[in-house]
Amino acid sequence: MTGFLLPLLPLLPWAVAAWLFGVGLYAIVTSRHYVHLIGCLSVVQASTYVLLLAAGYRHGAPAPIFYSRPPTLAVDPVLQALVLTDIVIGATVTALLLALVLQLHKRRGTIDPERVRPMRR
Amino acid sequence: MSPRLRRAVFLLACVCLLPAFAHVASTMPAFGAHPLPYGDLINAVGVRERHVTNMVSAINFDYRGFDTLGEEFMMLCAVTGTTILLRGTRGETQDRPQRVPGREIRPRADATVLICRLLAGFTVLFGLYVLLHAMTTPGGGFQGGVIIASGLLLAFLGEGYRGWRHVAHSELFDAAEGGGAALYALCGFASMLMGLPFLQNMLPLGKSGDLFSGGLMLVENAGVGLAVAGGFGILLLEFLEETREPEPVQEDE
Repeated sequence: MTGFLLPLLPLLPWAVAAWLFGVGLYAIVTSRHYVHLIGCLSVVQASTYVLLLAAGYRHGAPAPIFYSRPPTLAVDPVLQALVLTDIVIGATVTALLLALVLQLHKRRGTIDPERVRPMRR
Repeated sequence: MSPRLRRAVFLLACVCLLPAFAHVASTMPAFGAHPLPYGDLINAVGVRERHVTNMVSAINFDYRGFDTLGEEFMMLCAVTGTTILLRGTRGETQDRPQRVPGREIRPRADATVLICRLLAGFTVLFGLYVLLHAMTTPGGGFQGGVIIASGLLLAFLGEGYRGWRHVAHSELFDAAEGGGAALYALCGFASMLMGLPFLQNMLPLGKSGDLFSGGLMLVENAGVGLAVAGGFGILLLEFLEETREPEPVQEDE
């Protein structure tokens, strides 16, 4: 019954990445709460992890760690290193954005993107 | 732009981009069968050239060590920005943090205190273990530093704000964050002083599979570990300062 879906299976990682990006962006566009918005930004960012790891994947290949076996064909360590730095930067940038939200709340008394108007001098 | 219009524009953009996505996804190399020339090259020569068995660390600290330096400073900037934003208004309008009226502050449950006290030490130990095994097995400064910072958070949950601040001094975290990033940069300058390219590995590489193999990578890894643990420590401290319990006597920092 599911046989006809099998050719679509290789598209799954790209579809997952695009879906995460899309739903995250949709939620950012319609968000009514800045903390929620930052959570959605993390979802968008998760799509880049999926994309990078999927691009570096190789069927049946082990991790690029050659501690207990000789170097052979393995999945791509370059993309794994990129994802690693991506995650750490994502966490610190999230903290920076949350600090901005705290400031906004203190100064304007609201954290609803709809109710924040551009600053006037 | 009204919310409804914005949503319509977003959906329109999605519909327009869908054929492009379908085209790209269908013409990509098949999943799991990509040509990975760069990664394959590193997998093939990494152990022989750099005497480490964790290729991800070899890339982070050696082959693409310069990227990691940039990333280190990005983290430094983000942490500095957070600190400035949070410290900017603290105590400006009033000396004491406000408390939400009508919300009682409940004492922590004994079980929380017990579990957090037990786990905090083990978590920090595990973080050190992960940090030290950067060159051999999956591990490294980034992961280890974050785990150590989680241990700090557990210590806060177990001890409460006041007890936590007795041991967690901001100077310590500041020094770890700045010192770690500086250590990484100094590794690069040390290579230059010896007449080699920036961040060129010039220390003895050691034996592959050994905990202390990899030469200069070990120092860089320690720098990254310090910077990440310190940076996340600063973030925890700054956010906790924002939510601290009101105290009868203002603690001096």
